[in-house]
Amino acid sequence: MNRREVIKNVALMLGGTFSASSLMAMNHWEQSTSPNKAGAVFILTDIQQKMVAEIAEIIIPKTETPGAKDVGVPAFIEMMLKDCYKEPDQESFMEGLASLEKVKFLSLNSDERKGVLKFLEQETKKMKSKSTPFWRLIKELTLLGYFTSEAGLKASFQYVQIPGKLELIKLKPNQKSYAY
Amino acid sequence: MNLNIKANKNNTFDAIVVGSGMSGGFAAKELTERGLKVLMIERGHEIKHVEDYDTAMKEPWEFEHRGKTTNISAEERWANSRFPGLGSEEVVNHLTNDKENPYIEKRAFDWIRAYHTGGKSMHWGRQSYRWGKHDFEANAKEGIGIDWPIRYEDLEPWYTHVEKFVGISGQKEGLEVLPDGHFLPAMPLFAPEVHFKNKMMERFNRPVTVGRVANLTQPQDIHTALGRASCQYRSKCQRGCPYGAYYSSLSGSIPAAMRTNRLSILHDSIVSEIIYDEQKKRATGVRIINQNNMQTEEYFAKIIFLNAGSINTAALMLNSKSNRFQNGFGNDSDQVGRNLMDHQLGSGASATVDGFEDDYVFGQRPNAMYIPRFRNWGDDKQTSYLRGFGYQGGASREGWERGISADGFGDDFKQNLTKPGPWNIRIGGFGEILPDPNNRIYLDPNKKDKWGIPMIVTDAAFVENDWAMRKDIVASAVEMLETAGFKNVTSYDRPTHMGLGIHDMGTARMGRDPKTSVLNAFNQVHDCKNVFVTDGAAMTSASCVNPSITYMALTARAADFAVKSLKKKEL
Ligand SMILES: Cc1cc2nc3c(=O)[nH]c(=O)nc-3n(C[C@H](O)[C@H](O)[C@H](O)COP(=O)(O)OP(=O)(O)OC[C@H]3O[C@@H](n4cnc5c(N)ncnc54)[C@H](O)[C@@H]3O)c2cc1C
Ligand code: SF4
Repeated sequence: MNRREVIKNVALMLGGTFSASSLMAMNHWEQSTSPNKAGAVFILTDIQQKMVAEIAEIIIPKTETPGAKDVGVPAFIEMMLKDCYKEPDQESFMEGLASLEKVKFLSLNSDERKGVLKFLEQETKKMKSKSTPFWRLIKELTLLGYFTSEAGLKASFQYVQIPGKLELIKLKPNQKSYAY
Repeated sequence: MNLNIKANKNNTFDAIVVGSGMSGGFAAKELTERGLKVLMIERGHEIKHVEDYDTAMKEPWEFEHRGKTTNISAEERWANSRFPGLGSEEVVNHLTNDKENPYIEKRAFDWIRAYHTGGKSMHWGRQSYRWGKHDFEANAKEGIGIDWPIRYEDLEPWYTHVEKFVGISGQKEGLEVLPDGHFLPAMPLFAPEVHFKNKMMERFNRPVTVGRVANLTQPQDIHTALGRASCQYRSKCQRGCPYGAYYSSLSGSIPAAMRTNRLSILHDSIVSEIIYDEQKKRATGVRIINQNNMQTEEYFAKIIFLNAGSINTAALMLNSKSNRFQNGFGNDSDQVGRNLMDHQLGSGASATVDGFEDDYVFGQRPNAMYIPRFRNWGDDKQTSYLRGFGYQGGASREGWERGISADGFGDDFKQNLTKPGPWNIRIGGFGEILPDPNNRIYLDPNKKDKWGIPMIVTDAAFVENDWAMRKDIVASAVEMLETAGFKNVTSYDRPTHMGLGIHDMGTARMGRDPKTSVLNAFNQVHDCKNVFVTDGAAMTSASCVNPSITYMALTARAADFAVKSLKKKEL
């Protein structure tokens, strides 16, 4: 399956309306794909955890610096959703995973996975819903988890614990951001 | 910092100060430095300066939730977490547990509280501006509320006194609308802010200055004597500063008072009532309830300073009933709890800034840019509202967070986020709210808290003048950012209630006439002169500038007056 086909399939899967939001809405009524019922504790299955890890790693891959998996982002995402997000967002996250399960995300190759996520990113922009869309959740948590982890932060930025002064400076070519 | 109460058999002091926050700390300092033995009573737990700033030196990754608000915190701190950032695990444990200390919102009020040593002075934004002459005159000129019994000149020397001790960094500008004070060296404006400043002067004749802020840019002897050191520019002040570089009661006034050996502090002790002696016609002391073991105790003094924070001070007065004061202590005028004011906060605009790609900053500036009031000032006359507003804000380069809403992922995306992003700029208004007797707090006639004290009911909301001003705060912010040539100008207007301006005040106002006010020109309760109220409750109008140095100046002035009166045997 090439990328175009993947996207076509995703689109088909979305019920012909080409809208991720309507799929997510549909899933509300599909008991089997909505595992987090009201009041339920937010827990991911092994497969869901694996998908979260793979997506996080696509967002922040290992390069010459660590990637999302190296610094524990997948577990961080799950913990954050449980501790800091309310049910509508938790549900939205589960629904996002469910729709990716439907396109058998884990059995796609790397290019196909990226294609699906690019598609999802564009679709997310069109969504209007009260809860935070899946893509937005996983992206913000991946970035937060990565750039504030010790290894991620130190590899990405110039970490300054105690600046000791405040100075207007000129940026050098390729200079990294300071982090405090 | 603890004391031995039992050593003092009679529980008797020269003065009692209720509350250890911004104003109570200053009262304790001024009174002890003038020779009085003072008991400061604080309802919350003890926090020791530096030692108990448990999050101050934590690394970003040491916060489990990386600074976000957890669902548990949001539930426990249901009011405090309405203020952006206060639910964060960096600070949340230092804010009051609202679930354990509930209040009733007849009309919603975002009441931000910090029940512990130092009160909200540990968490404030440190912005420090003198009021102008016009602020003390506006009520009388416009026929709003009642006239202040004092003028700028009465407070002027006390502002200087407070500023020297507190240590305020700022730029002298020679503006009537924002009088200069006694300043430490100013912090710099950033390049896009300088551009903005020049454009505003050129196009609107509006001055822009760097924030005046209670962080030590160059400590003086008066500061180092208390162990306070220069700011290190981490801008993590709200966690408490390990260097004592920003002013709080914890870093400043309480150590100064302790140094006299005349201050005792009682923690975990909720002052529930002022004791009034019907024969002597004076207040003789206060009754407390220990917040942990429910035990009650009485303490006595010649004078009492109420500094529990505007709302709690009013509540304490209302709860102190006697034959003489059946309607609440000092409440013949029925003004106690009324005229609750705050500042407008939560609206303004932001924009992206093209250019300045080479400009960057080392260190974090714990400060902002300030645009003084320009509405209803000079030639400007607004038809839809009275008074005005100032803006606080500033420019910064975007960090990795820009990646959240940007398209993309993967290698290049990751790499790109390690570099400073474009500049953006944001300004938000602080607007003056008018006194309105229908904006008030009162005590619920039936419901009591777990200590048996009647619960506080908030019943206040913005009125027409406030809404009209708010509209202009947004519109003017957009206009100014656009005029400066910035791009993607976006307005914001957070749904908000009173309280979110974090400057609650006015609930026991000063005035000339005991029939319409609670306090006289020296903050004495009209009908019981040995009780002084010098927190925000005393305010007769609100100005649009941050209020705390005005509370401290009023406090110092009243303390000086109180001690002189005691010496002359007039109290
Ligand atoms: C996030 C934030 C930012 C702020 N930024 C600024 C700023 O930039 N500039 C500015 O000027 N102001 C600012 N403020 C406001 C400033 O903090 C207050 O104006 C100031 O702290 C008020 O001083 P206070 O003494 O009246 O009350 P507090 O500082 O709140 O102190 C009151 C104390 O009394 C205690 N108490 C209450 N009831 C009782 C009782 N019954 N018995 C015993 N003790 C009692 C409380 O526990 C508390 O310790 C900010 C506030 C917040 C929350
Ligand atoms: S910015 Fe300055 S005052 Fe604030 S915490 Fe850091 S050193 Fe202390």
